[in-house]
Amino acid sequence: MITLEGVTKVFQTKERSFTALNNIHLAINRGEYVAIIGKSGSGKSTLLNMITGIDYPTEGKIVLNGTEIGQMNESRLATWRGKNIGIVFQFFQLIPTLTILENILIAMEFVNCIPRVERSERAKKLLSEVGILDQANKMPASLSGGEQQRAAIARAQANDPAIIVADEPTGNLDSKTAETINGILSSLARSGKTVIVVTHEKDSSFKYDRTVTLSDGSIVSTESKKESV
Amino acid sequence: MNLKLIKAIRDLSSNPRRTLLVVFAMVLGIWGVGTVEVSYVIMMNDLNANFQRTNPQQLVLTSAGFDKLDLARFVARPEIEAAEFRDFSLHRIEISPDVWIPLWLFGVENFDDFKLARVFREEGNKTPLKGTMLLERDGKKVSAIRLGSNPRVRIGGRNLRIPVSGICFDPGQAPATQDAFVYAYTDKETYRQVTGLPSNQRLILRLKNVHSAQDVARVSDRLVRELRGQGIEVSSADIPKFNEHPHQWQLNTLLFLIGSIGFLAFIMGAVLVSQLVRSIMANQVRQIGILKSIGASRFQLFRIYVLMLLLVGALSGVIAIPLAVKSGSAFAYFVAGKLNFDILTKTIPFQVYIYLMLASLLLPVLLSFSILLKGTRISVKAALSDYGISQKAVAREYPFLKKLRLPDPMILAIRNSQRNIPRLMVTIFAMAFGVAIFSTGFNVRQSLWNLLSGYKNEMRYDVQMVLNNPISREEALRPFKSLTNVKAVETWLGGRGEIQSKVISTDKGAGIVALPRNTEFLKLKIRDGRWLRPSKEIEIVLNQQALALYKNPAIGSTINFTVRNKQINGRVVGVTQQFERPKIYIDIQQFDALLNPDHSVNTISFVAADNGYKEVIALKKSIEKVISPSGLEVAYVMSQAERVKIIYDHLDIILSTIILLSFLVLVVSAVGMASATGINIWERTREIGVMRAIGATPKKIYVLFLNEGMITCVISILVGLLISYPLTKLAAVFFGRLMLGNDARLEYAFSPSGFFITLAVTLLFGWMASRIPAKSAIKVSTHSALSYE
Repeated sequence: MITLEGVTKVFQTKERSFTALNNIHLAINRGEYVAIIGKSGSGKSTLLNMITGIDYPTEGKIVLNGTEIGQMNESRLATWRGKNIGIVFQFFQLIPTLTILENILIAMEFVNCIPRVERSERAKKLLSEVGILDQANKMPASLSGGEQQRAAIARAQANDPAIIVADEPTGNLDSKTAETINGILSSLARSGKTVIVVTHEKDSSFKYDRTVTLSDGSIVSTESKKESV
Repeated sequence: MNLKLIKAIRDLSSNPRRTLLVVFAMVLGIWGVGTVEVSYVIMMNDLNANFQRTNPQQLVLTSAGFDKLDLARFVARPEIEAAEFRDFSLHRIEISPDVWIPLWLFGVENFDDFKLARVFREEGNKTPLKGTMLLERDGKKVSAIRLGSNPRVRIGGRNLRIPVSGICFDPGQAPATQDAFVYAYTDKETYRQVTGLPSNQRLILRLKNVHSAQDVARVSDRLVRELRGQGIEVSSADIPKFNEHPHQWQLNTLLFLIGSIGFLAFIMGAVLVSQLVRSIMANQVRQIGILKSIGASRFQLFRIYVLMLLLVGALSGVIAIPLAVKSGSAFAYFVAGKLNFDILTKTIPFQVYIYLMLASLLLPVLLSFSILLKGTRISVKAALSDYGISQKAVAREYPFLKKLRLPDPMILAIRNSQRNIPRLMVTIFAMAFGVAIFSTGFNVRQSLWNLLSGYKNEMRYDVQMVLNNPISREEALRPFKSLTNVKAVETWLGGRGEIQSKVISTDKGAGIVALPRNTEFLKLKIRDGRWLRPSKEIEIVLNQQALALYKNPAIGSTINFTVRNKQINGRVVGVTQQFERPKIYIDIQQFDALLNPDHSVNTISFVAADNGYKEVIALKKSIEKVISPSGLEVAYVMSQAERVKIIYDHLDIILSTIILLSFLVLVVSAVGMASATGINIWERTREIGVMRAIGATPKKIYVLFLNEGMITCVISILVGLLISYPLTKLAAVFFGRLMLGNDARLEYAFSPSGFFITLAVTLLFGWMASRIPAKSAIKVSTHSALSYE
């Protein structure tokens, strides 16, 4: 369902060029719970940007659900992304001037694939699933980090995308809250969504179906749960 | 409510200070443009409408033989729309003890049935009682005369009292305040009684199917010929400005001024709005990234920000439009008061409101279109990577700065101010433009002052007395022999004022001024050629208006003109520059030889031995006291200071408007600078956090931003003052032509006081524009600055 073929990303500056990803070949199946791990500067966030279409490869191609995302312009890609990929950021990235409920509703409004009459109910259901329905009408700033991240996960599911991508979703949270967030993502994977998590926490890799380790822009190891067990 | 609308409203309310600044900028812009639009709509129409509702005359024929005219038959001619006899003579009226000014007295046939040149009742009687007069309302502004007053009037060398039984309004006359006249109206019988002059010798006419003064002149020639055939000799045929109020030029100048400066204010406002929108977009970068990452297309984001601007525009319009209507109307009423006309446009046309609301709503969007397009085009990656400190920012190293041994914060401020060169340029040029306009306003004012000072130097007499009719020199001088404080006296024929021009004028209406060629009383500035010299030929010097009237003859060429029915060929030897009606200067000896064998004069000029202000006023009063029992028929007595004041009063409204409106431009540009400094600071909120984290005190940060603002301000002032030089030159030429005539030159002048005022005001504005955002920068806590997104 997600295929990366020979993906290379080179960043060019005036002084030098830097290869962030080097000839990456990777296939992720539907419903798989995948962790991409690596040290800072290993290229994991760049890889995530390639998968979500936030950035384009210098070479190679990326196909998601049969669509080669490099072929789409920015606007088409935005709508496509809203429908097919839910993104969870390390710093939550909720719109500060909208309530938690409105943050979810606006994602539905942009993509317009959920019927208008169903949106509010769906948003509340998603908030309920992540356990913060009682915070629905509050502004993001009045929520704790963990609650904001749960809201961000709810928003990522707003348009019922098949793929959820999380960039260090627990990197800014305490260990207990991080555990809760990991649990939510894990349950999403169990419900049939493809979940890709970028993390540097190697010790928690046991939770994932597969762990892809990056170093200096290359995949150095791929470890599946079965193998590790 | 629509979520996009909610977001737009909350984004605006989340930063109330910035939103208020945007609204303020827009209110200022719309208010400025609206004021111009409203006053323009009112004044464009109303002076002319006032004038036209009098049914103004287009031709004035004077003849002693009109008693032979069958007026009813004459009016029935196909080319004549209306005609009636309107007597007119020039006298004097006492406006306060021993202070006399000219009185234009009209004899009216029927106050209930004006055929043309109508006057309107204001107070008291519509038709004056027998032996009384109506006073034109502007006369109340130049005198203490009111309804029921019984002022002294000097007619034909005797003083008498004519009570005022009514106040009327004559929109066809030049304002009394500016020309220092009083207009009054009596019935014909009273006119004959008080003036002792014959009635019905002045016929005013309005013609059919005429479209220009040339058309009127053609009809006039025909009528004069035909009247001559009937034995009626027409002594003069005057053609006033065709269908135009005498002071329409002033209004045109004003309209142009407010139009052009309003346009400039609008341009400045536009720059300001786009700067502020740029600031809003700079703050929204990360949000744009987030919204795009959750599925928002560029068009959807574009609509959110357009909606935001429409909200700001609507709010600004709601505030600014009523203000603009009030101030525009107030300005129109102010001008109407100055030019003595009624505001007839009581309700502003609905379209004006529509235009202003459309301008409020659409202009910010149109002006910010490219900024919105660019802002929403940013890629998700670039948007999400925006942390407020651009590592791409490059500042140049200037070795000379090191040599200056400036303190580190100053060097940092200089480098920081170059971080966004395009914005720095826009800010500098916007502010510089404001400085240039403001400075130019003062310089043009100085040019006009210099012109007036020039007049003071040219007119070397202290008091001038002008008689209604020429008399012998001895007879004119006799009553004044016992006057004290008189150093020198000179007599002329014609004089320099408008009234004297009527005494002797050419067939084309240029006044003749016959004066000793070696006069020390008048030293006019010669623009081209030279002053009069002894010559066998008839030499003449024209002022620039006469030059235009006679189609710009070259120096040395001969022009032909008719005076008192005699043709004269005069060689043009020089051209003078004056803010006057057309004038031709000629040596009095040559003129007397040609047309004035009995050497009569009508003007006596006095030079005071002690010409201090009080002494000159005392001399003027002494002259008035001598005149009273003398029997002299005096048109007026005026000191040089008063004459200059009359000229200044004509220009005052324009000078004041120039300064006022240019100040508005400077205010708008200062707000623009404040917004640009604000954007710089907002964009660097995280940088402020970093600086605080590494030990910068709030005071140091404040000083840093204040220095950055002041550096921009000082550069703007320098650039602005440089721009003001060519701008002043252009403006001087332009206003010179507009006010003094097509062929006039207003010299470039530098106003030292204007320079210091510009410097002080701009530095003050610049300081405020830097201080306000700098103060707000230090209020941000280190934590919130570092977590700023």
